[in-house]
Amino acid sequence: MHELGIANETLDVALSEAHRHAAKKVTAIRLCVGVLRAVEPGNLSFLFEHLARGTLAEGARLDIEEEAIRVACPACGDMEADSFTSVCPRCKGTPVTASGGDSLSILSIEIDI
Amino acid sequence: MVFLNPQTRVVGGGKGMRIEVERSLGQSAEASAREIRALLSGRKIYALNLISSPGSGKTSLIEALLGRYAAKSRVAVVEGDIETDIDAGRIRRHGVQVRQINTRSSCHIQPSQLLSVLRGMDLEQTRLLIVENVGNLVCPAEIPLGEDTRVVLLSVTEGDEKPLKYPLVFKTSDLLVITKTDLLPYVRFDVERVRRAARTANPAVEIFEVSAVTGAGLPALLDRIESLRAAKNG
Ligand SMILES: Nc1nc2c(ncn2[C@@H]2O[C@H](COP(=O)(O)OP(=O)(O)O)[C@@H](O)[C@H]2O)c(=O)[nH]1
Ligand SMILES: [Mg+2]
Ligand SMILES: [Zn+2]
Repeated sequence: MHELGIANETLDVALSEAHRHAAKKVTAIRLCVGVLRAVEPGNLSFLFEHLARGTLAEGARLDIEEEAIRVACPACGDMEADSFTSVCPRCKGTPVTASGGDSLSILSIEIDI
Repeated sequence: MVFLNPQTRVVGGGKGMRIEVERSLGQSAEASAREIRALLSGRKIYALNLISSPGSGKTSLIEALLGRYAAKSRVAVVEGDIETDIDAGRIRRHGVQVRQINTRSSCHIQPSQLLSVLRGMDLEQTRLLIVENVGNLVCPAEIPLGEDTRVVLLSVTEGDEKPLKYPLVFKTSDLLVITKTDLLPYVRFDVERVRRAARTANPAVEIFEVSAVTGAGLPALLDRIESLRAAKNG
C-alpha cells in the first residue's frame, strides 16, 4: 500500500501550493507515474479523495499520466516497451537495459483564486 | 525525471490558474534518509538494507553474517516486521544489539521510523548496521533508508520470473542474492533467466548464489559485504 504515502504527499504539496497562492480551492492535480512504480491508479485516487475531505483539495480531480517503460538497446537505441523484458523488442537479440518508466512526480496543480 | 529543485511556474490568470510544480514525490522520505546517512557517516557505520518476499531467507543471511564477526559489539541489527519480535529474538541470541520495528499498518520501514530507532541506540562501537525490511518486494523498493548497500534476496522456490514482475526492486538494488540453492534440484528455476532480467534492470548489480543450509556460496557473499564495509570505513 505505497499508494497511501503517495496520496499523502500529493495532498501536502497541493495544499502548500494552494496556501502560497491564497487559493480558494484546488480543482485538479496532474501526476506523472511510471509503470515501474506499480501504482494502482484507482487505489491512489480513492485514498486521495478520502484524505482530501474537509481540505481545500476536497473533490479535486487527480489526473494520472502514465509514463511508459523505456529500454535501451546497444544496437537499436532507446525505445518504449510494452512490458519489462530482457531482450530488445525490436531486434530480439541484444540484451537491453531499463532507461525509463520510474518517474513519480507532480506536474501541475489547478486552483481557483 | 527528477526534479530536485521544484520549478514553479504560474500559467493563466483570473479565477482559475494552473501552477506548474514539477516536483518529484518521495522527498520527505529522502530528507529522513539523508539524516540517517549523515548520522551513520558521522559514526563510520556501513549499513545494509535487506529486501525480499517473506521467507526468502533474510534473517538466515543475517545470522550467517553474524557468524563471520567475532566482535559482536561492532554489529547492530534492526528488524522490521508488521507484527511480533520473533526475528529480533532470533538475532538477540547471537549477542548483538538489536531493535525491532513493528510497522503495523505499513508494509515497509519508513526512514523516519528507522531514524528514531537509531537515535535511541548505542552506536559508539558499531561499524556494521543491518536492517531487515518488512517482507515485501514492492513497497520497500520505493523507500530509501540511507543505506550504503541495498540487497534483494530471491529464493529459488519463488519462481524465476520475479525480476520481470517486480523490476523496481531489482533496479534499485546493488546486490542480488539468490537463496536456498540447495533446493534447486526440486524446483523449476532458471538461474540464468534471473541473472539476465536482473542485469536488464540494473547492469551493475552483483549477483550471488547461496544456501544457508549447506553454506555454499556464503563465504564469497560475506567477504564481498566485508570488503564493501571496509572500503567505506576502513
Ligand atoms: N532449504 C533452505 N531453507 C532455507 C534457507 N535459508 C532459509 N531457509 C528457511 O526458510 C525459512 C525462512 O527463512 P528466514 O530467514 O526466516 O526468511 P525471512 O522471512 O526472509 O527472514 C526458514 O524456515 C528457514 O529455515 C536455505 O538456504 N535453504
Ligand atoms: Mg525475517
Ligand atoms: Zn535491438
